[in-house]
Amino acid sequence: MIKAIFYKEWIKTKWIFILSALALFGFASYLIFNVYRMIELKGAVHIWEVMIQRDVLFIDMIRFVPPVIGILFAITQFVPEMQRKCLKLTLHLPCDAQKIILSMVGYGAVMLLLLFSATLACFYVNLRIILVEQIANHIILSAVVWFLSGILAYLLTAWCVLEPTWKRRILNAVVSILLVKIFFYNVAGEAYNSFLPILLLYTAMASSFVFLSVSRFKEGKQD
Amino acid sequence: MENIIECRNLTHYYNKRKIYENLSFSVPKGRILGLLGKNGTGKTTSINILSGYLKPKEGECLIFGENIVDMRPELRAKIGLLIEGHVQYDFMNIEQIEKFYSRFYPNWKREAYYELMSRLKVAPKQKISRMSCGQRSQVALGLILAQDPELLILDDFSLGLDPGYRRLFVDYLKEYANSEDKTVFLTSHIIQDMERLIDDCIIMDYGKILTQLPVQHLLDNFRKVSCSLPERYKFEANSDFYNPAQIGNNFEVYTFLPENDIRSYFHNQQIPNDNFRTEILNLEDAFIGLTGKY
Repeated sequence: MIKAIFYKEWIKTKWIFILSALALFGFASYLIFNVYRMIELKGAVHIWEVMIQRDVLFIDMIRFVPPVIGILFAITQFVPEMQRKCLKLTLHLPCDAQKIILSMVGYGAVMLLLLFSATLACFYVNLRIILVEQIANHIILSAVVWFLSGILAYLLTAWCVLEPTWKRRILNAVVSILLVKIFFYNVAGEAYNSFLPILLLYTAMASSFVFLSVSRFKEGKQD
Repeated sequence: MENIIECRNLTHYYNKRKIYENLSFSVPKGRILGLLGKNGTGKTTSINILSGYLKPKEGECLIFGENIVDMRPELRAKIGLLIEGHVQYDFMNIEQIEKFYSRFYPNWKREAYYELMSRLKVAPKQKISRMSCGQRSQVALGLILAQDPELLILDDFSLGLDPGYRRLFVDYLKEYANSEDKTVFLTSHIIQDMERLIDDCIIMDYGKILTQLPVQHLLDNFRKVSCSLPERYKFEANSDFYNPAQIGNNFEVYTFLPENDIRSYFHNQQIPNDNFRTEILNLEDAFIGLTGKY
């Protein structure tokens, strides 16, 4: 069952997956190249000094890219289900409906996790060539929260898209914006470190929101 | 005869708008039953309730004896569902969609699907979104036939189809349902198609069921009575007569009464008529006779 669901989800999302991978690779390459270029121009000592004393991360330009990717991924995956109420077909499959929805959301989360982990790994490997471990760790730990916001944005967008009524969908969207905004209150490096387990829990809990929308869809709620 | 579908005292409202109240009906095994009604009488509402996508305000529905609230996967496997507009995953092509569905049904009949697909002039890699409505209807039907369900629930199967595809759909469906002893519950807004297909019909009016009976009984017994009456004559209709209407001198009314009984009624009521005649109707005319033109 899971294989078949993943197959369907892959057909819907393969292009957005490839485009997201290219976008992340492009951004990551540009930012890494930029750090290398600055080292070339001003010397590594100067760059280290700026990073440590002024808390400059050099890769913070990418921070809004994960939530944008999360939103686009959820739209690409779930809008086709809501067009002409195709979700009825999915929920009519002879399997536990909750397992089907969980597989769909799980697929999206896993794909994003793959993309985001690969990007973070790419940053880490390249930064470690020119930076000491502590500074590279500092950058990666600061960036984790932005990538986590991408997963949350994906889950919340799925919640909004699967909601059957426009009134509630708008309300969900407002709540979602406020929830994602929490991840961007503080731009300082590692500002969320102690808060990270709570954000993780918070993201995991958001995966249950889609079940509310699906349950309302099954009850036939409409505007 | 065993009932495959049994709905009891269904009541449903959209906000404060009543769709129907205390609606009860059943569909016996092996019969093709058509739900006929004007727009807004609750046909799609009934289909949505039966397929588990709408919770009625009151009442219950049993399919194969099981309450459809939280339908078990095993029960869903026995039901083939056609959504209004032949909705399917239109981001897939005909090979992908067959591959996808086949994983869910152990008795999947691949050949039944591809037999129907071979009649379509489409490339195997053509996406469903780029097919015509008629071609999409065949994909949806092919998938249902391959699923080989015991009960088929089809919502407005003729929507958007040209006469050729409607005929193809009806012929395939009838042959399949009769040869395999399947039960079918369907709606369509094109009643001529139903006449070729269904065994029984339920005719709905706003908020209620007018009648449920075998189509042949309706066609054999329901009549239109036409005659000339004096202008502004007030015809006193009892419950045997449906939708009396008079334009100028021309009067018409519909009834299940045999011709002799109609004549006796006119005689006993001393109705001053001329050019009295009765005619047997096709299903569409019978539907209009029962529900009225407006």
